[in-house]
Amino acid sequence: MPLLDIRDLSTDIQLSKSVVHALDHVSLHVDAGECLGLVGESGSGKTMTAMSIERLLPPGGHIVNGEILLDGEDLVKLPEQRLREIRGVDIGMIFQDPMTSLNPVVTIGDQVAEPLMLHRGMGKSAALKEVVDMFGLVGIPSPLQRVKDYPHQLSGGQRQRVMIAMALICQPKLLIADEPTTALDVTVQKQILELVARLRAEFHMAMILVTHDLGVIAGNADRVVVMYAGKVAEMADVHTLFAAPKHRYTDALFEALPERVAGTGERLYSIPGLPPDLTEPPPACRFAPRCRFAVAQCRAEVPPVTTIATPYGPQEFACIVPRTTPLGMPEPRDLRTTIPEVARVEAAELEAGMELSLVKDDGGHDLGAHGAGPSSSDARSWVAPTTFIPADGTPLLQIQEAVKDFPVTAGAILRRHVGDISAVAGVTVSIPRGQTLGLVGESGCGKTTLGRMVVGLDTPTSGAILFRGRRISQLRGKEAKEGRRNVQFMFQDSYASLNPRMRVRSILREPLDIQHVGSPRDRNDRVDELLAAVGLPARAAERYPHEFSGGQRQRIGLARALALQPGLIVADEPVSALDVSIQAQVLNLMKELQRDRELTYLFISHDLSVVRYLSDVIAVMYLGKMVEVGPAATVYAHPQHHYTRGLIDTIPIPDPVIERRKAKLGVRGELPSAMNPPSGCRFRTRCPMAQEICARVEPPLQPGGGHEPMPADELAAATAKAVAAGTVPHLVACHFPINGHAAADTLTDETAAPDPV
Amino acid sequence: MTIRPGEGIPAGVLDEAHGEGAAVAVSSTGLPVGKAKSMFRLGFEVFIQNRLAIVGFIVLVLAVLFCFLGPVLYPTDQVTVNLENVNLPPGPGHPLGTDQTGYDQFGRLMVGGQVSLMIGFAAAIIATIVGTIWGAVAGFFGGWVDAVMMRIVDAILSIPILFLLLFLVTIVKPSVPVMIFVLGLTAWLVPARLVRGESLTLRVREYVQAVRVMGGTSWHAVLRHIMPNVIGTVIVNATFQVADAILLIAYLGYLGLGISPPATDWGGMLSNGTAFVFTNYWWLIYPPGFAIIIVVVAVNLVGDGLRDSVEVRLQRR
Amino acid sequence: MIGYIVRRLLQAVLVVLVVTIIVFILLHQLPGGAARAILGPRATAAQIADFNAANGYDQPLVIQYFRQLGQWVTGDFGFSIKLNQSVGSLLVQRMPKTIILGLLSLVLTVIVAVPLGIYQAVHRNKSFDYVATGLSFIFYAAPTFFIGIIMIEIFSQNLGWFPPEAPQSDGIGPIFQEFDAMILPIVTLALLSIAGFSRYMRSSVLDNIDQDYVRTARAKGASPSRVLAHHVLRNALIPIITLLGLSLPALFAGALITESIFNFPGMGLLFWQAAQASDYPVELGVVIITAFATVVGNLLADVSLAVLDPRVKL
Repeated sequence: MPLLDIRDLSTDIQLSKSVVHALDHVSLHVDAGECLGLVGESGSGKTMTAMSIERLLPPGGHIVNGEILLDGEDLVKLPEQRLREIRGVDIGMIFQDPMTSLNPVVTIGDQVAEPLMLHRGMGKSAALKEVVDMFGLVGIPSPLQRVKDYPHQLSGGQRQRVMIAMALICQPKLLIADEPTTALDVTVQKQILELVARLRAEFHMAMILVTHDLGVIAGNADRVVVMYAGKVAEMADVHTLFAAPKHRYTDALFEALPERVAGTGERLYSIPGLPPDLTEPPPACRFAPRCRFAVAQCRAEVPPVTTIATPYGPQEFACIVPRTTPLGMPEPRDLRTTIPEVARVEAAELEAGMELSLVKDDGGHDLGAHGAGPSSSDARSWVAPTTFIPADGTPLLQIQEAVKDFPVTAGAILRRHVGDISAVAGVTVSIPRGQTLGLVGESGCGKTTLGRMVVGLDTPTSGAILFRGRRISQLRGKEAKEGRRNVQFMFQDSYASLNPRMRVRSILREPLDIQHVGSPRDRNDRVDELLAAVGLPARAAERYPHEFSGGQRQRIGLARALALQPGLIVADEPVSALDVSIQAQVLNLMKELQRDRELTYLFISHDLSVVRYLSDVIAVMYLGKMVEVGPAATVYAHPQHHYTRGLIDTIPIPDPVIERRKAKLGVRGELPSAMNPPSGCRFRTRCPMAQEICARVEPPLQPGGGHEPMPADELAAATAKAVAAGTVPHLVACHFPINGHAAADTLTDETAAPDPV
Repeated sequence: MTIRPGEGIPAGVLDEAHGEGAAVAVSSTGLPVGKAKSMFRLGFEVFIQNRLAIVGFIVLVLAVLFCFLGPVLYPTDQVTVNLENVNLPPGPGHPLGTDQTGYDQFGRLMVGGQVSLMIGFAAAIIATIVGTIWGAVAGFFGGWVDAVMMRIVDAILSIPILFLLLFLVTIVKPSVPVMIFVLGLTAWLVPARLVRGESLTLRVREYVQAVRVMGGTSWHAVLRHIMPNVIGTVIVNATFQVADAILLIAYLGYLGLGISPPATDWGGMLSNGTAFVFTNYWWLIYPPGFAIIIVVVAVNLVGDGLRDSVEVRLQRR
Repeated sequence: MIGYIVRRLLQAVLVVLVVTIIVFILLHQLPGGAARAILGPRATAAQIADFNAANGYDQPLVIQYFRQLGQWVTGDFGFSIKLNQSVGSLLVQRMPKTIILGLLSLVLTVIVAVPLGIYQAVHRNKSFDYVATGLSFIFYAAPTFFIGIIMIEIFSQNLGWFPPEAPQSDGIGPIFQEFDAMILPIVTLALLSIAGFSRYMRSSVLDNIDQDYVRTARAKGASPSRVLAHHVLRNALIPIITLLGLSLPALFAGALITESIFNFPGMGLLFWQAAQASDYPVELGVVIITAFATVVGNLLADVSLAVLDPRVKL
């Protein structure tokens, strides 16, 4: 008998005027001691499934059908009183955001002790004693002092450790972890996942791991349930699923992963459209409208569940046209692929919208079958860089010794200066025209500040930022205003960056109005062109931002950034809030626009796989310092800095074989405070190789690393050589780089080989 | 009158908070379908769906009609003292009886209401304008200008507004324009704080920062983004100001420092009536008392409805 | 902590200083100045000039202000024109009575409004919630004096339960001996704030009831009452403390009305009578004292907030 058996579970959420059918006849089970991965995009019902188990549904949520058997006892019918005895005792839960999930005004010791006092009848002091032991187990340093702390006094990683301690304090049989690491940095994510895995083995617990991240699943789950639009699409053990997915949704999800095509220059597959609205779900297969392989039957009937045997156990899927070959192997030609329904509708909408503008300028628009991409044929229009940028070898953007300190003040009346946050501490880097510089690092490393300085939202404390050799911050008056056109910004939060009270037309016209581009009539035409360029129909112009999905809003943000025909776009985490399938749409679009319009990107992200997909050059920042920079393929394949290496190690790879074999290296600890950065090499406090010299001497950023700064002419020669080859030299700031000093010898080979992208 | 409860959650928003993309109808491609509606229209729709707010609005309109059109249909002498018909109970000719100087109470309710409503609305408008400008200037300039301007607001706010009003009306003899002016000049503090707070939060919004990336000036940001976003809050607050002003004017009237006879307001009428609590001349007390309550409740309902319609537009995601 | 209190204290002093400046300016807006106000309308120009010279009213405003400030700081608020008593001694007599009235009604407010708001939030959108919300709307809109009159009519005139007039005797002790006479004033003053506070409490609980940490507590197996008492209320009550501080000016204003209805010889009644008689020194004294009390109240609210809310940075 499985530990947990969910049968035919349906959950509805009653809204003020409609009912969301969040779960529709979901069946799955968890065996004792096993880790079940529950994966899906937002709105797929994965969280709702997890919350239904203990009936912790949001207001209006209620189970309408099915049973949830825990050790044979049906939790659905259980009276609330008895269910409370199960919550926290038999089942422990970890939630996504540890900041909001902990009570801000109760000490963490009391919060963790609560289950013991509730269920074990312990007194407070006895319970706190156990809490201290538990804190030690989950890796909270000096637990005796910490029990009296409040949640806001801890770092994000520590808070999640507290959540884990709280979930495990009564040693439950089942742990439900709902996106336990989504709010955390990758380095911390790895630590937390390893901790959970260790404790799970120690306590012989079963676990349901809810996540949107296939990489996390690959490394942790034994069996995986893929959910789509409130239904189970596919269930298989982790090895089978990642090797030979059957359901077309799972298949498409894998193809949309940036890792799959990284470095090949191939176009990322993007699933068109959006998941369906669950107030009125599609009657037949819910994925059919977005599916490349859908046949008439898919749109006519609910696909039955097929079970096949695999060496690791059964594989179940609800698909009429399942994938016939393992992943990575081409499928036989005779399989008919069609343009998905939504893509056709999208294209038709675009076409309809374009007719309006075609009246004025005739010209064909070959719309990509995916509807996500623009055509190259409208490059003649004025949605292209206005100023001719000669390819004379001058880098488009040069950042020279840029420093940004944010003063920290104390006192309400007499604001006294008590210190500086060293956000960016002397960064030098340049981007050649038409290329993408990917800037990676943990949150708090200064990457966003650097991006904001490039667009002029922050002024450097010292150092210079040069656009085509001219200092942006020194331009004045009209020149400054027009200089702004060259560099535009794409914000992370597409909702916050678009004025909710303005229609899309006004939003896109705003930059044109400010810069007095063309006549008002021209500007309206330009709005239509911009919308077409980002794959949105012209009627989108009359809408408000809240009417769009996240991916569509991010396209609007991109269109606004394009409006002034900039040479450089700084994109700050533009896809980090988006689901994998939607993320691919935006990434493809950015790449196509770059090709068509010779755009240069400064692409900021914490996600190395996304950066790898889009970038020609990768720059790694740590606590305000550039620690490594070089051609993307080289940095990714042969990282020289221990931090880069650690970052790459921490990225969960959506391949269970690789992910499980990976050395458990990662990066220790958490980012130190930028107010008192470590002396010498800032990374030394977390570095496995740190020596005495690392604390004394700051390592120079140069080819092959080392202690002694390289003579300027040698550095210049190396740079010139790389530039001549159309790339940049591979630089690292480390006393003891990986590969040791031999790296300097291999450098020539690596830089000579042009990046394939 | 500084507590303004219910600021937390507008009714109805909670129910929507957990909708997974249910607020807007979307096509299979995820693009919104249906007719594009303007923000104003959306807000208006939310407002008219709020039944209480509509009731409040209708009551308010009826009250205005009663006070300003009523005397035309039901003319009474509200100037000449008529000592033969003092304190008559309700009966033929005097549906609400007469007061201690022989004025017809029903007609007096209309005349008094004119004063209450006029002062209430006009004072709220003045307070809102003064407060918006004060708050906008403080929020826009920031730094020490802001510090000085806001300390002044803090200081005046710490003096109970009724005390300040009483003091002011002992300096100047109260007439309708004077009362409007005095009330307006003491009630601007709340909108000032509100506008300043709002513009400070708006200033760091990403879409306001985006203006700088486009090369726009601060003025552009203020006119195009900050003002339109503040205006909703200001209008909602102005509604509540009307309610507060009507109450304040009633308090002044009750304390005998309001409008001088033979003109009157609802507060003044009640004040006269209190002398007869022990003689059971109920018609001198209840009509003006309930008139005040009904009008203030109506204004508050309209305000709540407006607040929901301003906020719901932003709540939808 | 000490540093925070000191900083907050400095701010409070600043606000009080601004209040004195405003009051000083008001004083100089009096028609004919203080001299005319005190000597009366029939005083000759020479008398006024003598008076001004004698009291230093002919000196530059800044000097006058600082001299005036010095007097205020030492508790010298001048001399009542009508009552023939120093304003200081009047305040000492009357202030405690108002404070007792205010405090008792505040206690009543909290005792009634907080549980009421919690109950409404827990049983939201049920008939009791609707009725209570409706009543709070009405009481919030009802002028205090109207409520007071109705109270007198029902409870003292018709039912005869309580006297219609508050205790008249001097001193605080007799207030408690004739406590039945205090019931109506206290209830009258409390009704308006109960209406406001219960609505605020309701929305504050509702704000918290859907937070993630509540879900965490439920996932630990805590019962609804424990979730409410141990988790939600600790968070929901924090803003109420600030609200208590902010409601002080309204409380003083309400006290003025209540005192005038029930003829309770507190500071409010003193102010009202002074206003009717144009007794400026008394009016100014009361304004400064109430403003001072409000600032002190806000200060206390902020400090207790800092003690109770661990997130407030000290």
